[in-house]
Amino acid sequence: MKKSRDIKKEMSELASQRSSVYGFLARVYSRELNSALLNRIQDPRFMGVLFDLEVQLGDEFFSRPKHELLENLAVEYTRLFLGPGRHISPHESMHHQRNDGDWGKLWGASTVEVKKFIESAGLHYKPEYTGLPDHISVELEFMQVLTKEESRAWNRNDMDRVHYCCQIEKKFMNEHLLKWVHIFCNKVISDAGMSFYREIAAITKNFMELENEELGGCYSKAYEEQLLKARN
Amino acid sequence: MIQLTRRNFMKFAAASGAVLATGEGMKSKALAGTVQTQTGRDFSPTTKKERQAIPTACWQCVARDSMIGFVEDGRLVKLEGHPKSIRGNGHICARGMAGINQVYDPDRILYPMKRTGARGEGKWKRITWDEAVTELTDRIKKLRDEGHPEKFIFHYGRMKASAAKLIGGLVEATGTGSIGNHTSLCEAGKWTAQELTWGGHFDNWDIDKTKFILNFGSNILETHTNHMPVAHRIMNAKVDRGVRMVTFDVRMSNTAAKSDEWIPIRQGTDMAVFLAMTNVVLNKGLYKGDGEEFLKYCKCTEKHDDTVENKVEALKKHYANYTPEWASKISGVPAAKIEQIATEYATTKPAVLIAYRGAITTYNGTDSERARMVLNSLTGNIDNPGGNCKAVGAGWASAKIPKSETKKAKDIFDGAPKGQPESYPFPTHHASHQVLPRIKASGPGTFELALWYCYTPAYANGDVQGNIDVLKDEKLLPFVVSVDPFYGDSTHYADMILPDATYLERYDWEDMVDPTQIGEYYIRQALVKPLGESRDFGDVMIEICNRLGIKTDYKTKEEYVQQSVDMTPGVKEAGGWEYMKKNGVWNDGKAKYYSYKKEVPAEAIKEAGVVYDEEAGVYWNPEKAHVTENKGYFRSKNAYKGYVATKMGDKLIAGFKPDKINKSGYMELWSQPLKDVGMNPLPEWIPAPEHANIAPDDLHLTTFKVVVQTHSRTANCKWLSEIYPQNQAWMNPKDAAARGIKDGDRIKVKSAIGEMEILAHVTENAQPGHINISHHKGHWAYGRYASGKKSPVGADDPDDANIFWKGFGTHPNWIIPNKGDRIAGYQRWNDTLVKVTKA
Repeated sequence: MKKSRDIKKEMSELASQRSSVYGFLARVYSRELNSALLNRIQDPRFMGVLFDLEVQLGDEFFSRPKHELLENLAVEYTRLFLGPGRHISPHESMHHQRNDGDWGKLWGASTVEVKKFIESAGLHYKPEYTGLPDHISVELEFMQVLTKEESRAWNRNDMDRVHYCCQIEKKFMNEHLLKWVHIFCNKVISDAGMSFYREIAAITKNFMELENEELGGCYSKAYEEQLLKARN
Repeated sequence: MIQLTRRNFMKFAAASGAVLATGEGMKSKALAGTVQTQTGRDFSPTTKKERQAIPTACWQCVARDSMIGFVEDGRLVKLEGHPKSIRGNGHICARGMAGINQVYDPDRILYPMKRTGARGEGKWKRITWDEAVTELTDRIKKLRDEGHPEKFIFHYGRMKASAAKLIGGLVEATGTGSIGNHTSLCEAGKWTAQELTWGGHFDNWDIDKTKFILNFGSNILETHTNHMPVAHRIMNAKVDRGVRMVTFDVRMSNTAAKSDEWIPIRQGTDMAVFLAMTNVVLNKGLYKGDGEEFLKYCKCTEKHDDTVENKVEALKKHYANYTPEWASKISGVPAAKIEQIATEYATTKPAVLIAYRGAITTYNGTDSERARMVLNSLTGNIDNPGGNCKAVGAGWASAKIPKSETKKAKDIFDGAPKGQPESYPFPTHHASHQVLPRIKASGPGTFELALWYCYTPAYANGDVQGNIDVLKDEKLLPFVVSVDPFYGDSTHYADMILPDATYLERYDWEDMVDPTQIGEYYIRQALVKPLGESRDFGDVMIEICNRLGIKTDYKTKEEYVQQSVDMTPGVKEAGGWEYMKKNGVWNDGKAKYYSYKKEVPAEAIKEAGVVYDEEAGVYWNPEKAHVTENKGYFRSKNAYKGYVATKMGDKLIAGFKPDKINKSGYMELWSQPLKDVGMNPLPEWIPAPEHANIAPDDLHLTTFKVVVQTHSRTANCKWLSEIYPQNQAWMNPKDAAARGIKDGDRIKVKSAIGEMEILAHVTENAQPGHINISHHKGHWAYGRYASGKKSPVGADDPDDANIFWKGFGTHPNWIIPNKGDRIAGYQRWNDTLVKVTKA
């Protein structure tokens, strides 16, 4: 049987890893890739991991001159997520099919809820942030912050804090991310012209499923057990 | 197939962490602060909602009504009329309420864009505002440095009040005077006619005090330049005071239906009825009394100081042949009816005579409005309580706007293109619908940089295909910038799109005409922050000017508006900006009538430089008018700018102050400026050339507006397009039967320049010989609700299942050529003849 200290360390690590994935995905959706980020992704170590995941980025991702690839990725990002015209709006209020019918528009009821949720957790939107409050990158970033805080709380042995973070994570996952991200990702997967964004969407969707089913952070039964043990 | 498992998740997480460790993740963060366990706030959407009520102003149409916007948690949820507004009395229309759809339009452009493919291909890349402003500034600077600032054309659709003052001023400060507008698509001929007769343009009908409303060709209960402020007063007048209303219209509009009487009239012949009504008034002596008294202030012959008797004689002579029987043959209105209405109008005091689009969008449009002014004058219904008044609006002060020491403009805004046998002697509001044809005629090199602001040249003008051909041609228009909150039919052909803030996200002082004759001061406030990275173009122009070294005393348009408000007499004393932010509206409570009778102090003509012009009866100051070659008042360029007063007997009066045209201070029923260009100085009926040989199977095509749409800017408002999703062509049953057409059939409508297909609406509400098509629909790139081009994957809308209609309508402008009326060059929307067949 694992000792409580080991469980806490393990849980801290897990929360930190989840935070990294949320952070990475948040960055990818937040804006176009730049040269530095592309370098990191094309790094053999990162590519090895993607290979493990059976991610298919296609020949163009490696063979094209970098400046050309960056340009193509930027145009693809614009076409997919910004418009104008036909695009896949990366905002919850467009996809979260609420029972009250208040969805399918920008700055919808979900936008207000996400904004209030995030602000009620003590965070605020930076003045220089010009996007909408329910952009996918913001929601993922929020989870990144929460899981990072959870990780720190495990390390500090602050179980009230752990419990609080887990509650918020669970509530936010259930009320927001799990309500729409899979719908959004399916659309990107079927519409993406470049394999990079298609595969990122597939990873995102997969990660959401994993979060829900196994890692669970705070909401899966397994995690609740670990938490109980840790408290004891 | 990607399979993220617990095992490879850890590797992926580690790799992700490595990427973030470079600091990449920090650059794009949206959130700040730390997670807190106690914030004292509840995030339930159903509790503790903070609702703010903010006074602001509408902009869905040019009436710009005062409103209250309700905002919950940063989200705009409702718009209502401002109960304290003396213009609107708490009323706004359906279009105004649907303004929310503009802010949250899913087809909004949220970031600056630059095209990456061929022009019109629809491939775009996001750029930063810094890149966008740098590129635009560099291009303007290059033209300035080369000595050709005029090669930058700025063309706007709607730009009013503080936006016009600031943005228009700053564009001019860059050195270009190549500025186009779109008044020639709206009512330019009417304005020019007013400038020829009583000076400054815009008339107000004093509905609150009137006893009779006579309306020619205005669908005023559904749509109008000053729609709700006037429309709700008309309904009050009818219901509360039993005021009678008679409407002449080619079709039974809802306004005609709500009138006491609808009198069908052939398209473009309103002027003939005005002339015949005047004939009746003169011959029956109905001008005696008020009309006779007012004639003292009118110029009816070459002599400004002619006797009233001579004036009447001259008019009688001119109008002798314009009998009701003559007008009946032209207009289809029975002669007895013309006589009856003329008598009723002349004997019910006071009365208003409304004329708008139906009466003026034709070859005789400007002269038709002049003929109306004659009728108003002879019945004494000018600038009097209950009559046809000179418009009164707010007189805002303006914070300082820098000026260019030199300004150059391309001569391309005031005429027809070469080869078109038309000339417009008084295009005082420009013939901007002819700009694209003239660019084509002028060839490459005319402009290097084009910027459209709130303007959709492809859709709004006639001859849509011709417009598109010019817009696509990179030789004719090397670089095109479109400032627009939405992707649309014209932004599609831009090289760079700058996302504009919607009107509910910006600040303005506003000044639209007040039907009470008092003049309401009101402001527009941002209800929510501009969505995404969209910016008020006023802010962008300030930045461009500052980068060009042109200094301003403000960094944002909001600051400009605030400074102006705080400088404005009356408003300043009431509490200035803070007062206006809280209350939204202010007025001084003083109604203004008979402004022309106001006596001018003798000191005014003793000022240095002031001279008397015997021919005009006008005191004026050539120096003030910057006249370099004095050819007398009537014939010196821009002499009107030096107008001081009019001499009437031994009195000095303010008179009808001229604007844009060197007219005297009299009500010029007889026009010296028109005589000087070889035209008849009195209103003259001249049939439209294309109507001379009308074939038996030709129909008059007329266009109209409906109550829930504006011309080009509301079709993507979901609530409005749900009510009016597509247009149909109104046809009389006789015309339909003659062509084998039944209600709901698809028909072909063919003009000299093109053909369109549309559904037929066979109705007795259309007159024989006419086909009437509303002109809001048939967009091809403007958003999912307007054009049907919704995003195939991202455009889910729970209302999709409720769409009960098929098709998004047809735009009639594809088959209407760009032409101009014979005086002002105003677009002749309703002079097109068409042949109609079953499709």
